[in-house]
Amino acid sequence: MPHTELMVGNKAVAYGAKLARVQVISAYPITPQTTIVQYLAEFIANGEMKAHFIEVESELSAMVAVQGASFAGARVFTATSGPGLFFMHHPMMEGADLPVVMGVVHRSNKSMQPDHTDLMAQRDNGWIQLYCENNQEALDTALMSYKIAEDPRLSTPTVFGIDGYILSYTAEPVEVPDQEMVDEWLPPLKAPWAPDIHLPVQEWKKRQGRMYGSQKAWLEHDTKFRSSLGVIREVNAGFEKTFGRSYGNGLIEEHNCEGADAVITAMGTIASTARVVVDDLRSEGKNVGLIKLKCYRPFPVDEIRGLAKKYHAIGVIDRNISLGGGGNVLNETRSAIYDIAERPKVLGFHTGMSGDEVTPQMIRRIAEKTLKSVSEPVPTAVEWVGGA
Amino acid sequence: MIEIRFHGRGGQGAVTASRVLAIAAFLEGHHSQSIPMYGTERRGAPVTAFVRIGEKSRMIRSLVHEPDYVVVLDPLLRNTVNITEGLKPGGTIIINSASPPEEIEFTSEYKVATVDATKVALETIGRPITNTAILGAFAKGTGEVKLESLIEAVKTEMSGRMADTNIKAVEKAYNSTIVGKNRVVKELKKVALPPANSRADWRTFRPIVDPAKCTGCQICWTFCPEHSINMMERKSTIDYIYCKGCGVCAEECPTKAITMVMESEKKEG
Repeated sequence: MPHTELMVGNKAVAYGAKLARVQVISAYPITPQTTIVQYLAEFIANGEMKAHFIEVESELSAMVAVQGASFAGARVFTATSGPGLFFMHHPMMEGADLPVVMGVVHRSNKSMQPDHTDLMAQRDNGWIQLYCENNQEALDTALMSYKIAEDPRLSTPTVFGIDGYILSYTAEPVEVPDQEMVDEWLPPLKAPWAPDIHLPVQEWKKRQGRMYGSQKAWLEHDTKFRSSLGVIREVNAGFEKTFGRSYGNGLIEEHNCEGADAVITAMGTIASTARVVVDDLRSEGKNVGLIKLKCYRPFPVDEIRGLAKKYHAIGVIDRNISLGGGGNVLNETRSAIYDIAERPKVLGFHTGMSGDEVTPQMIRRIAEKTLKSVSEPVPTAVEWVGGA
Repeated sequence: MIEIRFHGRGGQGAVTASRVLAIAAFLEGHHSQSIPMYGTERRGAPVTAFVRIGEKSRMIRSLVHEPDYVVVLDPLLRNTVNITEGLKPGGTIIINSASPPEEIEFTSEYKVATVDATKVALETIGRPITNTAILGAFAKGTGEVKLESLIEAVKTEMSGRMADTNIKAVEKAYNSTIVGKNRVVKELKKVALPPANSRADWRTFRPIVDPAKCTGCQICWTFCPEHSINMMERKSTIDYIYCKGCGVCAEECPTKAITMVMESEKKEG
């Protein structure tokens, strides 16, 4: 039977990996590692979980170790945070066809508190990126990540993030699904690429299907990677059928958007606060809704274009920055809708950088400015909201 | 929605207190969040934690700025931290103090519940970890959670002897909590501020050196993490401005020349 208990985000992620019956975990156990791997080590030590835990001397090695295990056909997991993720960059660029799943606890590189710049710095390496709003979503997304990554049409690495401290150390009720239900929904990994001594080496190579070589390899990779958007939607729908929970269409979620003139977009925990603010604004008769962006890579271009046709203004909240380039979500939103003839206004906001607190008042200001832009001119320069 | 702010010091268990309370509320059918405010914690440094209890659809993610209740785990904290900041009018303060509510001074009137949580903790747990005791006072002073739910919550977070002694702490504190109103004063008594970097107000216990037993071996001097021991005329001398009361010196002293004595609430040092 599923049971509900109060747990911190790190434990919810660990439960996800445990329920997925991960076979190999590798981690560098010292800062900036989180208690995710500590919980997993406990599960293994007390016999609740059967997995090999490989302790290594760096995050780079942790990533390489799980990629090796994945290549051998195992279901694998690793976790890290901010600076550790930067150290994984090189192997992450390489293992683009292995269904490795990783949990990231967002940590800014200008403080110990969270912003999304750490994971967004990995946006170009062909990993599916999913962002979580609460601890339940962290556990559920861990499970969905395996279903997505291991889909035979894809076999693509997947990473999901939770905001450091705000989720990683905050305890709240989480329903832990039944192991049997998870087993039925997520059967053991079939890895046709795994080495098989009964096959000639040339046959292995064919089965690995590695995308490598000339320009054509990039196009092939990009096309395959973009096709994961459909798989994510399918997995989200299937998850709802089995477990009764879903997250929008798996890519974005519209909250209180019916009849809205304007919407704001938010990722991660900012979405929780924004839900409450948007509900309050609607009850005051202000027509503004919330779009929660769950999937950042691949960027859900069709969904964003759909929004552009429905609403007159979009206020994009970026808890990240590409230095010298601006908010990543703002830039990609504008790019996605550029060739729509009657496109909405798109306003940009940075908030919560370095984990600075995001209050309801700050979200209200963002939402009201976005709504105002529908009927009158407002300054279009990107605004930095809050921050000490 | 009710919002609670905890003030404590590293090592007193403010974070655990917030977690246990959130579990107790959850056991009573509410949605709840326990939010620790982590930084670079050290034993004795002031820490805060927060709890929200209410409906799932109203759970925001920012910190608590206008609490309904403030819970203070350390009697000396109110000298250096503005514990009533943002407290809603008519709010309640639950404070670890040997004094009754009418002797506690604030500039506005609040409902105040006091309990000598340090004494209760020492008698039940044997260490000045006041988190579970103060929760007993919270249940008595606010009525927001039942005593039984707190006990159940302690059982989910702790086990064995630790659970038993902590449950005793909850019960004992619940039964000895005094609920009343504070004394209203125009201005809070100014406490002379210690110099920057002073750890004096972190102490629950202070080390006292018996010069007759001290052999001048310098072992305490070596171990002191705050460099607050000076060797004067080959005898260990504590610098009480910087000593944080961790007790490492007393633990390491081979001749038992150092004893830890409880700080008094009234004569802070």
